[in-house]
Amino acid sequence: MEGKIVVVTSGKGGVGKTTVTASLGAALALQGKRVAVVDMDIGLRNLDVVMGLENRIIFNIVDVVQGKCKLKQATIKDRRINNLYLIPASQSDEKDTIKPENMKWLCNKLKKEFDFTLLDCPAGIEQGFKNSIEAADEAIVVCMPEISSVRDADRVIGLLYSRSITPKLIVNRIIPKMVERGDMLSHQDVVDVLSIELLGLVETDENIVVSANTGLPVVMQKDSKAGKSFIEIAMRMNGHPDLPIEDPTAPRSLWKKLSGKISRKSKVQIS
Amino acid sequence: MMFNALFKKLMNRGEDSKEVAKKRLKFALVYDKLEIKDEMLEDLQRDLMEVISRYFEIDRKQMSLDIERAEGTSALILNTPILAARHKKPQQNNPPA
Ligand SMILES: Nc1ncnc2c1ncn2[C@@H]1O[C@H](COP(=O)(O)OP(=O)(O)OP(=O)(O)O)[C@@H](O)[C@H]1O
Ligand SMILES: [Mg+2]
Repeated sequence: MEGKIVVVTSGKGGVGKTTVTASLGAALALQGKRVAVVDMDIGLRNLDVVMGLENRIIFNIVDVVQGKCKLKQATIKDRRINNLYLIPASQSDEKDTIKPENMKWLCNKLKKEFDFTLLDCPAGIEQGFKNSIEAADEAIVVCMPEISSVRDADRVIGLLYSRSITPKLIVNRIIPKMVERGDMLSHQDVVDVLSIELLGLVETDENIVVSANTGLPVVMQKDSKAGKSFIEIAMRMNGHPDLPIEDPTAPRSLWKKLSGKISRKSKVQIS
Repeated sequence: MMFNALFKKLMNRGEDSKEVAKKRLKFALVYDKLEIKDEMLEDLQRDLMEVISRYFEIDRKQMSLDIERAEGTSALILNTPILAARHKKPQQNNPPA
């Protein structure tokens, strides 16, 4: 059976596409799937450093589509996680070096090799975005609980629908305390506005920063909340669509609620 | 290979993650600049052809210049059949004063 091409996109930059791609790629591979993650950000690659594979790049995706090397030669095997592979972007080429028809050809090859191919889309809705959605079977829209991010997500969702792709949503960088305090959109607010299916919720987590520093996937860090969320999202993508989504803002205990209230009060008094 | 070994050494020292980040960053910046474009290779080939022609008669059409890439190293491979050597001392472009 052929694998799936899943594009990870957002419209707005810096909301977590690359983090999501790297983490879900690692999680799916740890669950036994054959996974390729592809950096579609030609000229500004980053998926390689986030995955800790930057010093192993020999060929890149542009070399593949230009016939300078075989797909296999540009595919870097992760040595820590079995069945996880990266196809890096080139750092020196122009954004429009790759054309949609190149992507069709490439994705057709990838589908035969991998159960999941995750495409890390560049920010924006220009050529890199168009290339990334050209051959996608499914889409994950990443958004932050913040006005401009949700608005851009809405635009991208519209563009995906017009290509007959029904995207699913990951709300990233939730800060539960702020949501509880009423100073951040809740994921429910975001889902209400965008009205698409929710795939998962990810908190702002310091472990993501550490993971980016070291190049070690966050899903391999023991006590990372974000890591746990990514593992569960991967399970939803991988045969367990009904796995419940934990609400990071749900009150955990009465005591926590109370102490939250008290500290809020004292803060107000000080200022 | 050298890059990798060094890298691993750096990773295993149990240092702060930001120190790891700084070192990785330095490597990455060097690495990014190792990417070579086709036009640059063509220019280099033209320049090399000119220099070599001062010493040898070569078949310009058969000359090839390639980058052979492997993990950690890249090599520049020049291949050209030699037709004859030019035995006269080549003319210096910039004769020493
Ligand atoms: N859940 C999170 N918790 C903490 N930091 C995060 C989280 N998600 C992403 N980040 C951080 O936010 C920054 C941007 O993330 P990332 O590079 O994944 O975004 P992007 O959408 O790929 O950006 P671009 O549009 O530039 O490609 C990074 O520094 C990343 O470490
Ligand atoms: Mg990115």
